[in-house]
Amino acid sequence: MARVLSLYVETNTFVQRLDPMVKLLYILVAVLISFIILPFRWVGAAFIVLSCLALLYARVFARVVPLLGFSFLILVSIVIIQGLFMPGNKTPAISIFGLTFYKEGLLYALTLCIRVLDVLLAFALLVLTTRPSDLIQSLVKRGLSPRFGYVLSSALQVIPQMMSQVDSIMDAQRSRGLETEGSLWVRLKAFLPLIGPVVMSSLLETRERAMALEVRGFSASGKKTFLYERESSTLDRVLQWALIVVLILSVVLRFVLV
Amino acid sequence: MKAVVVENLKYRYPSTERLALSGVSFEVEQGEFIGIIGKNLAGKSTLCEALVGLVPHFYKGAYGGRVVVDGVEVLSSSVSELARHIGIVFQNPFTQITAAKLTVYEEVAFGLENLGFQREEMVKRIDYALKLLGLYAYKDRNPFELSGGQMQRLAIASIIAMKPSIIVLDEPTSQLDPLGSEEVFRAVQSLSKEGITIIMVEQKMEKIAQYADKIILMNEGHLVDFGAPEEVFSRPDLESYGVEPPVFTTIAKSLGIKDNKTGLYPVTLEQVRRLMIGESHRS
Repeated sequence: MARVLSLYVETNTFVQRLDPMVKLLYILVAVLISFIILPFRWVGAAFIVLSCLALLYARVFARVVPLLGFSFLILVSIVIIQGLFMPGNKTPAISIFGLTFYKEGLLYALTLCIRVLDVLLAFALLVLTTRPSDLIQSLVKRGLSPRFGYVLSSALQVIPQMMSQVDSIMDAQRSRGLETEGSLWVRLKAFLPLIGPVVMSSLLETRERAMALEVRGFSASGKKTFLYERESSTLDRVLQWALIVVLILSVVLRFVLV
Repeated sequence: MKAVVVENLKYRYPSTERLALSGVSFEVEQGEFIGIIGKNLAGKSTLCEALVGLVPHFYKGAYGGRVVVDGVEVLSSSVSELARHIGIVFQNPFTQITAAKLTVYEEVAFGLENLGFQREEMVKRIDYALKLLGLYAYKDRNPFELSGGQMQRLAIASIIAMKPSIIVLDEPTSQLDPLGSEEVFRAVQSLSKEGITIIMVEQKMEKIAQYADKIILMNEGHLVDFGAPEEVFSRPDLESYGVEPPVFTTIAKSLGIKDNKTGLYPVTLEQVRRLMIGESHRS
């Protein structure tokens, strides 16, 4: 069974069909505005709401929850540490079990949490709704080296292939009596006879694949073309300009406010 | 114009002492089917790689002599440039999949994208190649989901789409099961019918005797013989080069069945049959 490393969910809403570059631009705008240009909590919160709405619309919100769960641990520790120990802490806010949380620290923690979620959700929007190959192709089209693009896109398929190879090598070694389960020491001893064949066969495979790529014109000097040329739709262009306008407006707003 | 001209080709891999190819010369006409035989390390694969430019451009090393493919001199060209004239299919179907593409259709497009073909031309060529190799039904599959034989046919289709006038196949069936091998042989035959020059390394002597117009016998980097299958397989010193003749030839030799005009042994079942019927008519 062919597996591909990817978080892409195919629900085929307009979010999935958007030009990957628009989503990249969205990340840039969301991060730039809420971190540098307008560093207010409500701006960050607005982007969080916007990302959540887009994720809900794309029907991939369920996939974001585990990501949020993972970051929750970090967020909680930010709140505890900043709330208790931030140097600028003056005004006590609440006391739990004799530990005093301060208002300044909690507010700063809130800012940090909003920023983390802002970045996380904006990236989730890109990763969950974009086919990796589309993203890489549009980057290559805009000047990313095709070699680097190949490294990115092949890794997505080669790594799962290598993992299934590890499985079959493991089975082969086990059938010859190698113990792979048990105490840490047993596992460590099993590591070498497993990793040796994996590394060797990967190196050989890489050389063979390099030759196969060469004879298919991988290093050809002329301009590359693409089988699936993605026409950018009106919506793509509208959103792209809208994001640029938002970015410019925020800069203007910044100078008016200060 | 000759499809392939090799003149006194000498080659040594980097950091080795021995010549992998020494003084190899031969010429191939357009549309011919050439078989290359010989034991392991006889220089068969090196010769194949020298035709497509991987020797010397990919490996470097010491190179002498001249290889001209489809009118293009290999030494002064590049592998990518040669890809328009000559293609190669390797042993392992698995490593010939680029892994950068998610469907069979896109996989075939890879070489065309690199060479900068326009979309319409690409679609035309991909459809042609997939249909010729009988893979059109699988065009939306992931390449890694194919069987070995299908994967090897995909590798051939990917080369065919680039429309080279010569195709080199380096033991394309050695890692396949009998069914997969048969698929690949049939595919190669259909290429030959399309007028493509084919140069094929193969260990299955019955097959090579049946399809090849001429056979190159290699041994320790030297070209020992270059001639019709009947000539090469009738050589009395064949076994000293580590090559078993086709089973039909072995049987014919032990029974003394040979063509009385040429003095050569038959190499295919069909030839054996014809000679035996001829014998029985005379007697």
